[in-house]
Amino acid sequence: MDPFFLIGTLVCAVSALLCIGAALLRQPPNDITILSVAAVELFLLVYGVGAVIRQLTFEPVLGEAWEFWGYLLTALFVPIGAFWWSIVEKTRWSNFVLAAAGLTVFVMLFRMEQIWDGVAGL
Amino acid sequence: MTEARDDQGAGAVRAGAAATASSRSSGPGRLLIAVYGVFALAATARAGYQIATKFGEAPVAYLLSAVAAVVYIVATVSLARPGARAYRVSVVAVATELIGVVTVGLLSIVDAQAFPSETVWSAFGRGYGFVPLVLPVLGLLWLRRTRPGSASA
Repeated sequence: MDPFFLIGTLVCAVSALLCIGAALLRQPPNDITILSVAAVELFLLVYGVGAVIRQLTFEPVLGEAWEFWGYLLTALFVPIGAFWWSIVEKTRWSNFVLAAAGLTVFVMLFRMEQIWDGVAGL
Repeated sequence: MTEARDDQGAGAVRAGAAATASSRSSGPGRLLIAVYGVFALAATARAGYQIATKFGEAPVAYLLSAVAAVVYIVATVSLARPGARAYRVSVVAVATELIGVVTVGLLSIVDAQAFPSETVWSAFGRGYGFVPLVLPVLGLLWLRRTRPGSASA
């Protein structure tokens, strides 16, 4: 199992749980939930750097390279979009929006791993 | 401990939402639109990929993918915009989505030959955790609750 995938899953899961928890407690977005989504974004950036290194050295992508990078570039916009969409309104529902970012990025990460390992496409 | 304050806040938001035309993008609507946005993105990327790389394999299925993508985009934008016109557009888009997911879902199971390739709506959106099936139902309920004129008239 790819350590990147494990770390990414963990970051996304912790972020989603924190945001859902805060939403259930009727909290509007706070430093913790916003920073957790920032951590998801940070992970994606590190993942991207890692992917470049992997691509150039010992473990190139087995699936379609442009599909992988398309997923990654799109995923990078998800936490930013969620932050932008949630910050306008200070209700607990904005925390659910932030939670959706972590869940969405996890699904996209799952697909990116499949593409990297050459599992059949869409 | 903070419940009273937050309940008050939610109440104020609800009252404010009822008074303005943009109530659809407030509260639960915010999450609804976010999820619609994710599906607009996913369906567009998928349809684009399918049409660009293997359109000849299953043109009907891939055109359907494209239709689904357009429906999600229209639904996302119209739900997010205020006004009675955007409301009507969103009702049509979300209803189309419901009809689409049920029709394609049934057909993909009854006549699997005709739908050899996956779309967002295949098997009632199984590949997407059945969210495509639940989303239009929640969408229509939300639209009924935020009907223009129902609360503010």
